[in-house]
Amino acid sequence: MAEARTLICWQCQKELELRKTDFTYLGHTFYADMPRCPQCGQVYIPEELVRSRIAEVEMQMEDK
Amino acid sequence: MAGEIQRLTRSVCPVCLRQVPAERVRIGRELHLRKACPDHGPFQAVIWRGHTDFEAWLGGAEAEPLADAPGCPGACGQRGLCADHRQGTCCVVLEVTGRCDLGCRFCFASATAARKDPPLAQVRDWLARLTVPGQTLVQLSGGEPTLRDDLPEVAAAAKAAGCRFVQLNSNGLRLAEDPGYVRELAQAGVSFVFMQFDGTRDAIHQALRGRPLLAAKRRAIENCAAANLGVTLVPTLVPGVNTDDIGALVRFAAELSPAVRGVHFQPVAHFGRIPGPPADAGRFTLDQLLAAVEDQTGGMVLAEHLRPSRCDHPLCGFHGDFLAARGGRLVPLSPRRTGREPCCGPATPAQNRAFVARRWQRPEPGGPCCGGEDLRDMDTFLARVRSHGFTVTAMAFQDAGTLDLERLRRCSLHVFDDGRLVPFCARYLTGWRP
Repeated sequence: MAEARTLICWQCQKELELRKTDFTYLGHTFYADMPRCPQCGQVYIPEELVRSRIAEVEMQMEDK
Repeated sequence: MAGEIQRLTRSVCPVCLRQVPAERVRIGRELHLRKACPDHGPFQAVIWRGHTDFEAWLGGAEAEPLADAPGCPGACGQRGLCADHRQGTCCVVLEVTGRCDLGCRFCFASATAARKDPPLAQVRDWLARLTVPGQTLVQLSGGEPTLRDDLPEVAAAAKAAGCRFVQLNSNGLRLAEDPGYVRELAQAGVSFVFMQFDGTRDAIHQALRGRPLLAAKRRAIENCAAANLGVTLVPTLVPGVNTDDIGALVRFAAELSPAVRGVHFQPVAHFGRIPGPPADAGRFTLDQLLAAVEDQTGGMVLAEHLRPSRCDHPLCGFHGDFLAARGGRLVPLSPRRTGREPCCGPATPAQNRAFVARRWQRPEPGGPCCGGEDLRDMDTFLARVRSHGFTVTAMAFQDAGTLDLERLRRCSLHVFDDGRLVPFCARYLTGWRP
């Protein structure tokens, strides 16, 4: 799985760490553990997360 | 009273049901539908009380002038939907019986104890003709469908014909008394239940249905829950009877989530069997309902969380999408309505079906559920919204007094009548005795 790989921040050359990260969508704020650079704070969003849980959040919250 | 004309449209004479020109007129804060029949004189009915801005609610939905269609709505009953109808089919109502075990004051279908059921072979044939495989949402209706012992076979036939969703419209009495029958229905393919449920007090059931029914309704909900069948409560709202119970109904339903999937309010329409032609005091408009939901839930559900129908005409209903949190608290999922939304747009019947099924059908048991408290946690939110989605919806049917062809032509709720698809309010349109 992609989450199990070691991810390095290209800019800071630091290993990303799983950190609680906030998302805001249609006025609601959610958090999930995401790989984040401990130095610059950039977050890496794995594609499979986008295609699964984030897509489902969108689907559940969007008006018909 | 004169009033300012908001729009010219067409309606019917409430007595002879011929098509007549009509106008929506603004009288103070209210909107009325006004018309006159050459033979039966003038008629006027309130359609909006002014609690919500009328034009903002319409959202520009009526930019086009109403096309002329001389046969409307009488031809619907003879030939079904015509080329002038502007919306496809979202849900198909199929009457599988004319019998009923209640004798309600108001009954759109004029059901009685005496009628005969169509044979199962006939119903199978209808299902084969009405179904678009993989798409159709069929509502098994009546009369009271559960008076048929073979209703599980009917549901199975609907699934076998390819219906995607099978909705059961029921008063719940047999569902309360016969848990084995409920299990059979669920196994046969019923997707969810629309259950007549007029109030949280027995006096309401007594007034509208002639009996105290609250305990039976609770048992019906329990039995459906045991069979994993979601139940949406459907109150008919009658001024002076239960319009003060709207907030209590929402709270009652939310506390019973996930067994109960929502409340679908139906302000009374005067067709089928009715006590008599209504005065305006006997009408409860959609904007009165919007205001009452907010007021009587203490703001737990705001009117701004309820959006005009997009699949049908905006004056025909609303929908609000929620998650039922612990303790019966409803968390809105959609952003607040601002009043500046674009026109109701091309919401398709397929989108509408997907929405209602997502909320009204319970997921298969055994999935991850709702353990956490913190709905900001994405996994907790997703588990909870899958299991505890909740809707507050309404449908404002039209009767001979309020029928507006502008609205009727955008109807997506169609009754299957021996090969014809007929808009619901045209199918049950009933003339009044003068």
